[in-house]
Amino acid sequence: MTKASEIRQKILRLTAEYYQEKFEGKAFEPNKDLIHYAGRVFDEQELINLIDSSLDFYLTANRYAESFEADFSDYLGLDNALLVNSGSSANLVALTTLTSPKLGDQQLKPGDEVITVAAAFPTTVAPIVQNNLTPVFVDVNLGDYTAIPEKLVKAIGPRTKAIMMAHTLGVPFNLDVVMNLVEEHNLWLIEDNCDALGSRYRGKLTGTFGHLSTFSFYPAHHITMGEGGCVATDDEELARIARSIRDWGRDCYCAGGESNTCGKRFSQQFGTLPYGYDHKYVYSHIGYNLKVTDLQAAIGCAQLQKLDDFIGKRKDNFESLFEFLSRYEDQLILPMPTENSDPSWFSFVITVRDDAGFSRDELTHFLEVNRIETRNLFSGNLLRHPAFESIKHRVVDNLTNTDKIMLNSFFIGVYPGINKDQLNYMAQVFARFMDGERV
Amino acid sequence: MVSEYKVMSTPRKLQCQVTQLIDHGEGVYTVRLKPENRIPKFKPGQFLHLALDEYDPSGFWPESRVFSIASSPNQGDLLEITYSVVGKFTTRMEQELEIGNFVWVKLPYGDFIINNSRDIILYAGGTGMTAFTAYIKTLRTDNPHRVCLFYGARNKDLLIYRSLIEKKFKESKIYYAYYYVEENISDSIDHFYVGNLSIDSTWPKINKPYESTFYLSGPPAMIQNIIEGLKVKGISNQSIKIDAWS
Repeated sequence: MTKASEIRQKILRLTAEYYQEKFEGKAFEPNKDLIHYAGRVFDEQELINLIDSSLDFYLTANRYAESFEADFSDYLGLDNALLVNSGSSANLVALTTLTSPKLGDQQLKPGDEVITVAAAFPTTVAPIVQNNLTPVFVDVNLGDYTAIPEKLVKAIGPRTKAIMMAHTLGVPFNLDVVMNLVEEHNLWLIEDNCDALGSRYRGKLTGTFGHLSTFSFYPAHHITMGEGGCVATDDEELARIARSIRDWGRDCYCAGGESNTCGKRFSQQFGTLPYGYDHKYVYSHIGYNLKVTDLQAAIGCAQLQKLDDFIGKRKDNFESLFEFLSRYEDQLILPMPTENSDPSWFSFVITVRDDAGFSRDELTHFLEVNRIETRNLFSGNLLRHPAFESIKHRVVDNLTNTDKIMLNSFFIGVYPGINKDQLNYMAQVFARFMDGERV
Repeated sequence: MVSEYKVMSTPRKLQCQVTQLIDHGEGVYTVRLKPENRIPKFKPGQFLHLALDEYDPSGFWPESRVFSIASSPNQGDLLEITYSVVGKFTTRMEQELEIGNFVWVKLPYGDFIINNSRDIILYAGGTGMTAFTAYIKTLRTDNPHRVCLFYGARNKDLLIYRSLIEKKFKESKIYYAYYYVEENISDSIDHFYVGNLSIDSTWPKINKPYESTFYLSGPPAMIQNIIEGLKVKGISNQSIKIDAWS
C-alpha cells in the first residue's frame, strides 16, 4: 500500500468517526425539533463516498457517476440513465430532446401541443414553454391529484404531440389511459417521475413506461445527491440526443476527459464545416451544460443502496398517518392511490373539505406553530402565477379542482427521517386542532 | 417511435479476465474475455476499447485500442475480439496477454450497425470480419432480406470465421457467402476465389445491388477500392456504410 493509500484509508476511517460524533443518535424533542416535510437521510457511507470522491479530485463525472448510471439503469430495467444536475434540468433535457431535428417528422415543433396539468411543480411545465410549445392543461382528481382520465382524452387535438406530466407526489397517473392515447395518437410520453421513484403501476416501475422519464435527487426526494437528477430512456437515439442537449449541444458523445472514442474525430463532414473538423467541437443541438459532478454522484451511489429501505419506510409512515387521520375524513380529503397503482409516497397530501369548519391556512398555521412543517401542493394552479399568467396555452373545460387545491390542499412529510415518536407527536397535534384548539 | 437505426447504450468500464487465446497464425489472434461485471447491452457491429495498462477508476483511462466485438450480445458473460499484429499496441497484446491476465475494456461504442430493412451486402477483409460476426451470430432464419458476404483474407487458414458463416448461412436460402484468398489454393472449393476483394470480382454475384446496403470493414486500401468501385456503379453514399477509423 502506498503512503497516499494509507492516508486515504485513515481519512475515510476518520470520516466514519466524524459521522458518529456529529450526526448519529439524536433523540426527538417534541415541540422543539422541527418535523420536516422531507430531508436527507444518510449514514457514514454517504460521507465516506463524498470524501473519497473529493480525494480523487477528478471533480467532473467519473467513476461514481458511471457507477450510479449503471446501477440506476439496472434498477429501472432501462438501457440508459443520464445524470444531470437537477430534476428540473432532467425535465428540460427530456423535453428539449424531443425538439431535435434528428427525430425527423417526429420532432416537436413550435406550436405543437403538450398535455400536462397546472397543479404541478413549475419546472414540469416550464420546458414546454421554453421550447415554444403550447401546454394544454387538464384538471386533476382530488385525492390522487393526477390528471382526470376523461379530460386527457378530451385534450387531444390536431397539434397534440406529447404528454408530459408528473406522477404527483408519488401517485402514478392512470397509465392505462395514457398509454392508450400514446399508442392511438402516436404521442411522445415524458414521465416526470421526480416525486415517484419506486412507485409502481400494475407492478411495473413508473418512469419505465414513457419514451423518456425524469428523476430528482434534491434532498426532499426519495434519494439525494444534494442537487442532482436523471433522464432515463430505453431508446439509444433519444439517449444520444439527451446527452448532447445536456453536454453543450455537442455531437460527440465522448465523456469528459475522453477523446476519439468513435475513432472518427477528424474524419467526418458536418454542415458546412471543413471536412475533418474536430468532432469534439461540432454542435448538433442548441444545448446547455447540465452535467453532474462526481461528488454528487458519490453521495447518490450510497443513497441508491438504501432506496428499497427508504421506500418501505415511506409506505409505513404513510400508513401510520392514514390510520390516524382517517377518523377525520368528514373534514379532510385524505390521499389515495390511483387504481392499479402502488405509490412510493413522496408526502401525505390533505385537502380540507369546503364544509370542514376551518380553513387550510388555519390548520397549516397550527401545525407550523407546533413545529410540524407543511407545504402547499407546489404551485396550486400554475396559471395563476405571474410567470405563467400570460403564456400561450389551452385549458380543457376548466381547472376547478386545481383551484381548490390551490386554496385547500397541503402536505406533510412521510420521509424516512420521520420516526414513530414523531408520528405519535403529529397525531397528538392533529387531535388538538380537531378538538378545537387554535393559535 | 424512433427509427430502427439506433446508436449506443451508455458505455461502461469493465475489468475482464482473459479466459482463452487462440493463435490463428501469421500474427492473428482471438481473445476471449470474462468481465467481472455485467456487460452493457450492445449491438452487433459495435466495438470496445481495450487497455493493457492498469486502470485506476479514480483517474484517467489509459492508452487503449478499439476492436469490434466479435461475440454476440446473446453470449452472456463473454466478450470476444480478434486482432492482427500491426503496430506497437497489438505487438504488446501479442507479448503480454496470457490466460488469467486482467485487462480493462469499455463499451459499447460505434454506430456501424446493420439495418435489416434492405438486402445486405457485407465486404470483410481479414480481421475486419469481426465487425460482422456478432451480426451473423444473431441472424434469424426468418430474416426476409438477402445477406451476401464477401470475405477476403491472405490465405484459407485466415478465414477464421468460415465455419461460423457456413453453419449460419446453411439456415437460409437467401444467405450467400463467397471467399477470396490472395494465395493459390490447391483444391477447388465451392465459392472460393483467388485474388483480392474488388467490385469487378464480386459485382456479378450481387442480386439487386440498387436495393441493397453495402457494409465495408477491413484494411483502408480495400475499403477505398470498394468504395470507388461502388461509386462507379452508381451506388449512392447513403447505401455505403463503412467501419472507418481516423
